[in-house]
Amino acid sequence: MSGLPQLILFGINWVSFGIDFITFYALYLAISLSLNLEFGYTGIPNFGKVLFIAGGAAFGGSIAGRLAAYILNVGAGQDFITFNAKIITQVNGDLVNDPTLSVELVVVSLVVAGLVGGLLGFLASYPALRLREDYLGMLLLGCAQFFQVVLRTYTPLIGGSQPIFVPDPYSYFATLGTGFRNLVAMVVMVVFAIAVYLFVERVVRSPMGRTLRAVRDNEDASAALGKDNAKIRRNVLIVAAALAAMAGALYSFYVGSVEYDTWTRFAWTFWPFLIVIIGGVGNNSGVVFGAFFFTLVFRGLQQIQPYLPASNVFDVNSIADMLFALMLLAILFLRPEGIIREKSSYTLKKGVLGKIVKPGTTEEKKQGFASRITSRFIRRREGGGSAGDAQPESSK
Amino acid sequence: MVPEYLISALVYACLFAMMAMGLTLTYMTTKVPNFAFGDFVTLGIYSSYTAVRVFNQNPYVGSALGFMVGALVSAVMYLAVLRPMARRGSSLVSLMIATFGVDIGFVGIFEIYTNYLQYDLGHIDAPNFYALPDFSLGGYAGVDLVAPVSVAVIVLCIYLLFTRTKFGVAMRAAVENPPLARVLGINVDMVATVSWMLAGGFAGYAGGLLTLLLPGGTATGSNLIVEIFSSSVLGGLTSIFGACVGGLIIGGSEILGTLGLGLGFGTVGAIIIAAIFLLGGIALVRRPRLRVKVVGGVFAAFGLWILADMAAGFPVDFVSYELVNGFGPNVTPFQQAIPLLIMVMTLLVIPQGLFSINFRRLLGREKR
Repeated sequence: MSGLPQLILFGINWVSFGIDFITFYALYLAISLSLNLEFGYTGIPNFGKVLFIAGGAAFGGSIAGRLAAYILNVGAGQDFITFNAKIITQVNGDLVNDPTLSVELVVVSLVVAGLVGGLLGFLASYPALRLREDYLGMLLLGCAQFFQVVLRTYTPLIGGSQPIFVPDPYSYFATLGTGFRNLVAMVVMVVFAIAVYLFVERVVRSPMGRTLRAVRDNEDASAALGKDNAKIRRNVLIVAAALAAMAGALYSFYVGSVEYDTWTRFAWTFWPFLIVIIGGVGNNSGVVFGAFFFTLVFRGLQQIQPYLPASNVFDVNSIADMLFALMLLAILFLRPEGIIREKSSYTLKKGVLGKIVKPGTTEEKKQGFASRITSRFIRRREGGGSAGDAQPESSK
Repeated sequence: MVPEYLISALVYACLFAMMAMGLTLTYMTTKVPNFAFGDFVTLGIYSSYTAVRVFNQNPYVGSALGFMVGALVSAVMYLAVLRPMARRGSSLVSLMIATFGVDIGFVGIFEIYTNYLQYDLGHIDAPNFYALPDFSLGGYAGVDLVAPVSVAVIVLCIYLLFTRTKFGVAMRAAVENPPLARVLGINVDMVATVSWMLAGGFAGYAGGLLTLLLPGGTATGSNLIVEIFSSSVLGGLTSIFGACVGGLIIGGSEILGTLGLGLGFGTVGAIIIAAIFLLGGIALVRRPRLRVKVVGGVFAAFGLWILADMAAGFPVDFVSYELVNGFGPNVTPFQQAIPLLIMVMTLLVIPQGLFSINFRRLLGREKR
């Protein structure tokens, strides 16, 4: 059986490292973009991000396994959780020959995860609309902490302290050779991340994006302009939670199991916040850069363990924890707006804009229609002052 | 003899009261919820562990050490992270994220320290250890006496500090109105530093005592954050004594509630609970705000349902039978649901905390 080509330099297989790197990059990019939508653009600091991701992974993964077992008629009459390893092994054996069902499983699981995430986001929006940031942060953090306890204790969902396996929709590609499964999983994750990027970018470039910033920057002003702040916040939370939940479901397919102790508030709430803060709050290209930088440090650190002094005291993960804390504090101290600043709202291109509003001259016939109307209106209000006086900026 | 479960509930309640007083002190001075507060508790846990295992000391010496370590680290955190950021005019959310960052940094430090204890000093149980040995006195464990006495002493000291000393009055002024206090010559920064020191000290001391009750580990403190936040929120986040009462209520209801739900409250207990729900619900229905009315209505209906189903001999048996006879041991892991639920209810019904309730008006003794 052939596999992917290998490129081994300095004791690292760069091909498999690259696949792993890009998969994690895409995963964290998607999650951070959804966080940027709610935190960066709308100003809802969601300190319970892990809740939505874990919800999506748990429900998506659990339902995919049950559904596949039901359709393939595997393990009928057996408890899904107790005989999980056996059932999923059989399911995977069948899925190798059934790519259609594999695709269907992923789609159904994503839809379920999206719905669960949306529901959780809707529930979270109830306090988010009413509480100040500090109370909201405490409440969401507490809820996420408790959700982890639920995952650990409530066995029917993901098996409690015993992890359950998730059917592998990519198992067809594993027959092509070593490494192909992860390659396809990577492509799926990248496609998802790009879709999330395009979606979020489209939203924030639209008039809706300006509305979101208005809600963030000045609630009273946006309310005065007829925007329903509560409704906007709720919708943003639902959408962002659904996106995060879908990312969680894809992650559970990638690693092939769901365990309660994966879902710590450090890995799934703090890291996305770190990425958004490093890259730039309210700036998607900043998040693209921040996620890359973060993944580089995180996955790169995993490779240095052999070079550490031969002692059990210094573990790469604890060094990474401290390094991330220092990185966050350094950014907050030195450049709180992030490495790439937030750009002002996108407007029409200069040429198009010029046709609507021309820079003012004293002769009215040279002016554009809107400007003419405006200056007339102003003149009438001001009792006959010239257009140049009324619009001092436009007379340069 | 006092029943054992009452004592254990009291001790937990006292520990949460200490932690909540600490968190409230930091919140009052800096107006930031400190997400790293649970790690101060863990600092106390490992101070105690180190004192007992490495230096063969009494665990109470370890708790005192925990007070000092917690106070020191807390003051350093304030002076090195929060004060400079606040001076730069960072937003509330930035400050919250910074405390979150400190939280994750502590996790790394604890892991390295426990690895050091484990591999270099040979204390194999360092990452997860059983409760440490305690002395016993007249049939009670030492911590059963020490924890309540400590809380009483702390409350008394804070009361005397706030009412009888110049520094305490200055502290209150600095909390109420920092610019005005500064104008009057009060060193507001000094007050904030002392508050943070006391806060970290309380947390470390409580963590040290906690090792005598529960197994400890690197994540023990940060997992307690739900209870600590709930206690402070219930106390209103602006009153130290409110936090103390909040901690007592949260700790007591968590232990007694879990125990009762597991073993059953008995007929009398179930009737009392139903009556509390019914009367509390009726009191809430009489409030002006609609969502408070709705919550009250649900409460009252729940209380009525339990009473009705009990009276009829459990024909439907939804919750009511289990309330009398117990849900079984499966409820124990979900015990954090109780503080979380109390926090949610507090935020929905009395966001300003316990002391904002006008009890006279609630009882109908005072006209609106």
